[in-house]
Amino acid sequence: MENKQSDLHAEVLVLGGGPGGYTAAFRAADLGKQVTLIERYPVLGGVCLNVGCIPSKALLHLARVIHESEEVSEFGVEFGPPKLDTGKIVQWKEQVTGTLTKGLSGLARQRKVKVVTGLGKFVSERILEVVGSEGTQRVSFDHAIIAAGSRATKIVSFPNDDPRVMDSTDALNLDEIPKRLLVIGGGIIGLELATVYHALGSRITIVELMEQIIPGCDQDLVRPLYQRIRKQYEHIYLSTRVTEIKALKNGLKVAFQGQGVPESETFDRVLVAVGRRPNGHLIGADAAGIKVDEAGFIPVDDRQRSNVNHIYAIGDIVGNPMLAHKATHEGKVAAEVIAGLPSAFQALTIPSVAYTDPEVAWMGISEQEAKEKGLEFEKASFPWAASGRSLSIGRNEGLTKILCDKTTGRLLGAGMVGTNAGELIAEAVLALEMGADAQDIGLTIHPHPTLSETLGFAAEMIEGSITDLIVKKRMN
Amino acid sequence: MEQTVLVPEIGDIENVEVIEILVGAGDAIKPEQSLITLESDKATMEVPSPFAGTVDRVLVKIGDRVNEGSEILRMKVSETAESSPRPPADPGAPEPGRPAIEAVEDHQSWLGPPDEVHMVAEPSAPPPVLELPSQHRQTAHASPSIRRFARELGVDLTRVRGSGRKSRILHDDVKHFVKAAFQKPRGDLLDLDRWSAQPEVDFSRFGDVESRDLSRIKKLSAAHLHRCWLGIPHVTQHGDADITELEEFRKSLKPELELQGIRLTLLPFLMKGVVAALQRFPDFNASLGPGGEALILKRYYHIGVAVDTREGLVVPVVRNVDRKGLAELARELSELSAKARDKKLKPDEMQGGSFSISSLGGIGGNAFTPIINQPEVAILGVSRSGIRPVFRDPDFVPRLILPLSLSYDHRVIDGAAAARFIVFLAEILGDLRRLLI
Repeated sequence: MENKQSDLHAEVLVLGGGPGGYTAAFRAADLGKQVTLIERYPVLGGVCLNVGCIPSKALLHLARVIHESEEVSEFGVEFGPPKLDTGKIVQWKEQVTGTLTKGLSGLARQRKVKVVTGLGKFVSERILEVVGSEGTQRVSFDHAIIAAGSRATKIVSFPNDDPRVMDSTDALNLDEIPKRLLVIGGGIIGLELATVYHALGSRITIVELMEQIIPGCDQDLVRPLYQRIRKQYEHIYLSTRVTEIKALKNGLKVAFQGQGVPESETFDRVLVAVGRRPNGHLIGADAAGIKVDEAGFIPVDDRQRSNVNHIYAIGDIVGNPMLAHKATHEGKVAAEVIAGLPSAFQALTIPSVAYTDPEVAWMGISEQEAKEKGLEFEKASFPWAASGRSLSIGRNEGLTKILCDKTTGRLLGAGMVGTNAGELIAEAVLALEMGADAQDIGLTIHPHPTLSETLGFAAEMIEGSITDLIVKKRMN
Repeated sequence: MEQTVLVPEIGDIENVEVIEILVGAGDAIKPEQSLITLESDKATMEVPSPFAGTVDRVLVKIGDRVNEGSEILRMKVSETAESSPRPPADPGAPEPGRPAIEAVEDHQSWLGPPDEVHMVAEPSAPPPVLELPSQHRQTAHASPSIRRFARELGVDLTRVRGSGRKSRILHDDVKHFVKAAFQKPRGDLLDLDRWSAQPEVDFSRFGDVESRDLSRIKKLSAAHLHRCWLGIPHVTQHGDADITELEEFRKSLKPELELQGIRLTLLPFLMKGVVAALQRFPDFNASLGPGGEALILKRYYHIGVAVDTREGLVVPVVRNVDRKGLAELARELSELSAKARDKKLKPDEMQGGSFSISSLGGIGGNAFTPIINQPEVAILGVSRSGIRPVFRDPDFVPRLILPLSLSYDHRVIDGAAAARFIVFLAEILGDLRRLLI
């Protein structure tokens, strides 16, 4: 067709330098492929590293320190109110992300992965056009892995140009610590940032459309978090819709619709965290013949292959849950399949974590799902009020729950709420992947005193061998 | 409205290979049009479309193994009167394992009579959630590394017995499974290899030749027949039956049944006669138990009937012949052979036979030695009947004589029993009133 089709050729082209994209690129390079990675921003790492998981965790760490130092005053250690220097906080946060992104560039260099900066769009099923600051270039490829991620959902009717209306990226910049902050969306992202701003001194209101915060998570796991933040925050409006935001000089006037909620209230800032949308419609998929559904997801098979044979897709852009650890796993699958290895996405579960205070983490099948599916299961729920470790860090509201198959005893799902639940859930994921049953978990010696014991205790409750509680159950 | 077409009920067989994909994305499809061809170790079958519409995406590849309920393809279904109006469905990502709204609707299914067809309607609200193929979920007790290893070797873990604690599948179990598959003493592949291990001859040295691929059914039945031939010590007992009166009776019944659209051939009479003989000699209605230690006697009378099709030989099974009349048998036979010729026999319609009949009567010949259809222990071959002079003191009289050839497994049946069987059968066919005794 054209004489000069491309400026550059890649055996494997990866579109998007987030966790899924760079993992795919590095894995492909390690498997002997010549790889080009296209990233629109001058740094690698994507949303996760730059404006998502990592910086939010840095800020959440500070939030935790602030809260804990407050709380220990009850136990006889008093620090006095913290002095906050948001400039310095942001600097530190950027230092954290900077260290990581620099590390990534180094890893890319060592692997001879060519990184091209610019916005990539397919112009045919073999060529991607990259528009960067230094002009446009065309990259032809044998295989492509689309890892172009997602973006925060914007609600068109809101005054989105007003700097006081923030998305999660804006919120992480800490331009201002508002007196009153409204968080629209009681999902993981909204609740995590609410935790940060609350610790930094904002009064928080949360509004959620569904009848519980973190919709989709079992209610008993959410309850301890809800009860804690209900006391900390001004309001949590559930089953409530925001109908309008009016930008006034003295604040943002927000109108609500729901039962028992005020008609409107004025806030200094609003964080819109109502979910993320896949970027499937922004990458010129049509020109390559890639099927994208209405929502913007690219359907793929268990080898991450799209409807176009040599084009793969991974991460947020192929479906929920939009989680970095799902994307990295899928990225490896795609790279390995391209390298001719018999890989496929075979994981049994993708764990979810809300890094709130307390943290909420779950994996496998939820109790609600198990009931809906009519599965025969046994459940055990160990209250952290009976955990010495939990009490000794001044907390008693946690919970570890496991669900096991009634016949085989094998672990079906687990959920935890409490300090460090996000770290603790990993053991349950391993147990599930290994096909462990309650007995296997109960017979595994957990170190004492730790929060990790609670998983062992929950398993013992199913087995009936627990001694740390009185359980009305069959005793073996 | 978008629909996912699933593999319909295919009996109790699993992991059927997709060997042919007959449609592609964008194709307009009529109801009943064949979509894909599946092949089990018994036969091939084509899966017809339950709907009219346009193929959106084919979800299977040649070589995939599918089960009842596996997704075949997605199609845009042309609106039909019975489909209720729904909001435009989200043409979402494939959602393996996600139990979307599963509706059971009455539609033409793959074998004519209305049957249940499971359709997965696309949910419109939640975005596709990546979930995991349901058969992986909690079925095979194996860790991620073992699952990967099994995948590399193409091993279906649901078929591997785990030797670990609580039947966990270990690395060695997968290895042994593969090893056993290769060392199977009479596995199809090996036998065919050995069988075809004749010196290669360049026939073109002697004149023009043409090489033609065997049909799939031929290849499959070749392996099966070869196994039967090698594995069973065959003996064939020949005999004659005088069917002069039977034929008169048949001819007298014919017009009456034709009014009901039934064509009465000799075969239903043979089946009834055979069942009477099986009831008298139950060892013929049996299979050899594992290790040849026991004889498994069957209390049912399912008769396999060899049908010649363009693709090769298939053996549909007529069930409970003892409980059916001639008319019903005749009707069933013509239905089954029509299905056989259209390649629409379901696997379970070719399973469970306890005795087989192979009739070449329509063609000719005097006698032949049919091969027993393992795990059955005997088969009746029938050749062409003809008028023969029969000596009935004091004269020869012309009688219609039907040649019978009974092959039997000599491990189970001895020669005297076989001779008694064929004599008894000849007596029944000679005088049908004996069926009433």
